[in-house]
Amino acid sequence: MSTYVYGITHDTGALDGSGLTGVGDPPSEVRFVRTDGLAAAVSTAPQGLRAKRRDLSAHQEVLVDLARRDAVLPMRFGAVAEDDEAVAAELRRAKEHYTALLDRLKDRVEFNVKAVHIEEAALRTVLSEDESLREANERLRAQDGGTPAERMAFGEQVAGALEELRRRDADTVVEPLAAHAEQVAMGPPVDDCLANVSLLVHRDRGEELTREVGRLQGKLGHLMEISVNGPLPPYSFVAEPAQ
Amino acid sequence: MTVMQQTSGSGGRSGNLYEVLDLILDKGLVIDVFARVSLVGIELLTVDVRIVVASVDTYLRFAEACNRLDLSAGGGAGLPDLVNGATESGARSKTKGALAGAADTVKDTLGRDSEEERPTAKSGRRSGRKEAE
Repeated sequence: MSTYVYGITHDTGALDGSGLTGVGDPPSEVRFVRTDGLAAAVSTAPQGLRAKRRDLSAHQEVLVDLARRDAVLPMRFGAVAEDDEAVAAELRRAKEHYTALLDRLKDRVEFNVKAVHIEEAALRTVLSEDESLREANERLRAQDGGTPAERMAFGEQVAGALEELRRRDADTVVEPLAAHAEQVAMGPPVDDCLANVSLLVHRDRGEELTREVGRLQGKLGHLMEISVNGPLPPYSFVAEPAQ
Repeated sequence: MTVMQQTSGSGGRSGNLYEVLDLILDKGLVIDVFARVSLVGIELLTVDVRIVVASVDTYLRFAEACNRLDLSAGGGAGLPDLVNGATESGARSKTKGALAGAADTVKDTLGRDSEEERPTAKSGRRSGRKEAE
């Protein structure tokens, strides 16, 4: 039976997976593979596991629950070891690395902030700042939108200007937030966001960070929407051990 | 779980899940000796589709959206606005192709088995997403 792995934590002796819902349908039991001070939260891997909402959610919930109790190193969704012994062997092999990482992440949580331009406001901004775009827009308007080729060329220029605006505005979001964080990790620009940034903070400073997000939303809300998710397990701040 | 979520101005837990998908699927530890379950499609969803690539459709949509804008703050739809208003539905369907289509695909993959948890929390965030709902 192969073994699904959620994450790694300290073996405090008091670990209990009975309140947790594992991946799979019906949900698998969550248990712990312990070795030498470390413990991996695992389940027996269900057959044909896919990235369904239920399973993604189960993975996330198990980690959130563990993170509430102690530092945890989250695995990326979908890690499957050959069996429990393979998990134990990995814990033994890189024990020092995992232990040091857990110590460093003690009482630390991740907050993820995504900021997205409000499209109409962003379009207004790029048009008002660029006279040639404005003129091109007026020209096309006067011609009922112009030919498809003209529209496309114009739209491409606008897309470039929007991209430039995203780059410019990213700092106005990231810099004030970074001031509250111990570590910062940038994520990919999902959903056309202008900023996708993860911040590592002491769990006691989470509120301070969300207040800062609220302040930024108040200041920049006419141009963008900013959302914050956290406290989260530190997905963006775990590094693999050397092989 | 609500304790864990402090998303400004939006609600459900599924909105939360959608918003942190890129973390669950693209961050976190990857250990070489462990396999990863087959995620055919899902990585593509997060890193490729959710990163909306500028395309012909988006260019046309931007052009049309600019044409509809009334830059004089005073408002008052002039004749061009009315004329372009007539093309609006056409433009919207293009939007759906480029942006909302991607959002739909992600939702499909997330599964419709729990409809009440569909990620609707951020539906008003952006026009593309809104039209996907």
